[in-house]
Amino acid sequence: MGTHLVSMQGIRKTFGDVVALDNVDFHLEKGEIHGLLGGNGAGKTTLMNVLYGLYQPDAGKIYIRGQEVRIRSPRDALAHGIGMVHQHFLQVPPFTVVENIVLGTLPKLRATTHLEEEIGKIRALAERFGLEVDPLARVEDLPVGVRQRVEILKVLYRGVDILILDEPTTNLTPQEVDALFQSLRFMVDQGLSVVFITHKIREVMAVCDRVTVLRDGRNVFTVSLKETDEETLVRGMVGEQLDVATSFLFSGRREEARPRSFGPPRVEVEDFAVMGDDGTLAVDGCTFHVRAGEIFGLAGVAGNGQRELAEGLMGLRAVARGRAHVNGIPVQEGATREILNSGVAYIPEDRLEDGFLPRASVAHNLILGYHTRPPYRKGWFLDWRLVFQTAWDLIREYNIRTRGPHDIAANLSGGNIQRLMLARAFAHPMKVLIAHNPTRGLDIPSMEFVYRKLLEQRAQGVAILLISEDLDELLLLSDRLGAMYEGRILGILEHPPFDKYVIGRMMAGIPAETR
Amino acid sequence: MHVSQQIITLARLVILTLVPYVLAAQGTMLGGRAGVFSVAQEGIMLVSAVVGFLGAYYTGSLFYGALLAMLAGGLVGLAFAYFTTTLKMDQFVIGLALFFATAGLSTLIYKIAIGVTLKPPLIPTLQDIPIPLLERIPFLGDILFRQNVFVYFTIFLSVGLWYLLYRTGLGLEIRSVGENPLAADSLGVNVTLVRYATTIVGGMLMGLAGAYLPMAYTGTFTEDIVRGRGWLSIALTYFGGWAPHTIFLAALFFAGVEVFAFRAQVTGIGIPYQFLLMLPYIATILVMIPGFRWAREPAFLGKNYDREKRGIS
Ligand SMILES: Nc1ncnc2c1ncn2[C@@H]1O[C@H](COP(=O)(O)OP(=O)(O)O)[C@@H](O)[C@H]1O
Ligand SMILES: [Mg+2]
Repeated sequence: MGTHLVSMQGIRKTFGDVVALDNVDFHLEKGEIHGLLGGNGAGKTTLMNVLYGLYQPDAGKIYIRGQEVRIRSPRDALAHGIGMVHQHFLQVPPFTVVENIVLGTLPKLRATTHLEEEIGKIRALAERFGLEVDPLARVEDLPVGVRQRVEILKVLYRGVDILILDEPTTNLTPQEVDALFQSLRFMVDQGLSVVFITHKIREVMAVCDRVTVLRDGRNVFTVSLKETDEETLVRGMVGEQLDVATSFLFSGRREEARPRSFGPPRVEVEDFAVMGDDGTLAVDGCTFHVRAGEIFGLAGVAGNGQRELAEGLMGLRAVARGRAHVNGIPVQEGATREILNSGVAYIPEDRLEDGFLPRASVAHNLILGYHTRPPYRKGWFLDWRLVFQTAWDLIREYNIRTRGPHDIAANLSGGNIQRLMLARAFAHPMKVLIAHNPTRGLDIPSMEFVYRKLLEQRAQGVAILLISEDLDELLLLSDRLGAMYEGRILGILEHPPFDKYVIGRMMAGIPAETR
Repeated sequence: MHVSQQIITLARLVILTLVPYVLAAQGTMLGGRAGVFSVAQEGIMLVSAVVGFLGAYYTGSLFYGALLAMLAGGLVGLAFAYFTTTLKMDQFVIGLALFFATAGLSTLIYKIAIGVTLKPPLIPTLQDIPIPLLERIPFLGDILFRQNVFVYFTIFLSVGLWYLLYRTGLGLEIRSVGENPLAADSLGVNVTLVRYATTIVGGMLMGLAGAYLPMAYTGTFTEDIVRGRGWLSIALTYFGGWAPHTIFLAALFFAGVEVFAFRAQVTGIGIPYQFLLMLPYIATILVMIPGFRWAREPAFLGKNYDREKRGIS
């Protein structure tokens, strides 16, 4: 095993009953970008957290440069030259960039008022790898793309030569993704080795030298990019759970599947403004409409007012300015019940906080919001027989892993909570659907399932507002596509094919040029 | 008495009053900046008041008494750190439990050591130690530099903690643990050590606050000696925005109003005394309303960190 830079052998890791990793091997060579590919929940993050010392494996061995090592904490990993950039930034928002970077490297009593030397070092690194940042800026004031660079600088600053990146393209614009890939190339040219975690095959094809595919916590295969193709990777990722040949997700757009004509507008929004939690306008003058039988996509980096827009349209927030009609109902705070009853379905972004009752039963949760209406309601009471029957049907159709409708919903795992919410939304007849990140955290077969459901609803004339941070999803599904930045819609592309770089510019705050 | 003389007397009283508040609040703040939030102050102050008193009584030295009180406070801090940081038990519940345990313990210790007597034992109270040169500054010299050693320590501590937290590498680490322990951990900061150390030192400061009461005010120990000062120090920590320098100012304000109310009570200016007793609290609440806007508590305050747990527990 002396030849590998890093060699992980027979790694096993369980969390309670969940086997996250089952006898997994992973080998990293010097000077390569090694992709770690797999759907949500495949175990990619867990595997690399084991290498980084954040998780202790139940079994397995780790060798670095041929030496067997025990990594008890990130401190050990850093000492071995391993750095990891997590998917969710591990930063201290009120600290400056330089403070975030030097944290833990300063002598205890070293004064932090004179960090010129450290700042110089950071500037030099930033220049060398094309990762421009202002070292004295406060991290909480920075946009996501820059915070990403801070994360990478943090580990480079420690002089690591093995860099792990966990889904680093989440929330980057296409332009920023290109720049990141370029920086990665610089890094390997300068002698670093990179583990690149992703669930996007396209990214593996674009930047990796080799790739290891994981599925359900097990190795599928490891291949060199020269010796494989997209189809093989897709099959490796999804296995037998999905018929790749007929899948929508992997087929790309299919023009014949889209309707040629749309109905009347079902969602009309004009100069709409909504207050955010911090008392400033989170949505600041949005104008758009969604017609029956179309999917209107709304792209944007997280935190640009998408959540407030969705909640505003559902009557969950006070309208600060402008007007909106959803399914003909004038939107105002408190109109939620009326909006829902008129045939509007809502898939909120934060499924653990909104629209989910952890202490209630699965059955309760499946009819929540529909319980005041027929057929569930009979006079003063709920028709429990029907409720449970419906619940059983939905549990089966949506593959919700639970002991049954009686089980309390808190026992569901994250992915299953999401299936439950989707089941509830899709199982009832609707005219309008507002969906926010409906596939986040889902594995590939479930994503495919959601896409098919969305297309089914569209074919039946439902007006769908699809707000998503996954640009690929939007490019695949949207009939029209807008981009949101700081509470405004910077532009709307009227028909496919969409240019992802144009959308990317709008996501970064540059309005689409008028043509 | 001269007016200026009167002002000096009042100001000296304010300084003497603020000492236990500042000590206990800085102790609360220090643990809190690393995310460990104790509510056992009242109990820790009680038990260390009795330990400090008895220590001083038996050794004949206030210094040893204070040292023992710090040891007692530090031990409670250690217990708190163990239950919360190592065993990951709920901080509020453990804090309350330790409050009850230490409060009960304090009377027990006193009863065992002294028993019921008609003539309670006494210890000498703290002497003023003038600081050469500085004591000669007009006004300020009388107010600040002819005081007991606890006063000097309190001022020194507040400045020192400010420097430590905001101007040193260690301070950066402590604050990062209270804001985002996973981020700190991922960069090699020893989260457990930081949380233990700040909680223990915080407990020692609360212990010192307790010892101050018999040593500066009464010379004896009584069961009601702390009188809610421990609980108030929590409020002052919030009011002081979880930062050493503003906590000092907050305590100064509160002590000022308390002394004023006390004076008004003694001189009897016709305001019902119940109202005067409430005055410091009301004034603090009124100032706190705008104060709360800028006061930002540590993001991870009161939560326990578990590396392998997702999210926060
Ligand atoms: N800290 C944790 N506690 C409990 N379960 C976890 C934890 N981390 C991961 N898991 C579980 O382990 C499995 C693999 O997760 P993960 O490694 O995050 O997958 P991926 O990164 O490939 O999406 C999932 O079933 C997930 O729910
Ligand atoms: Mg992951």
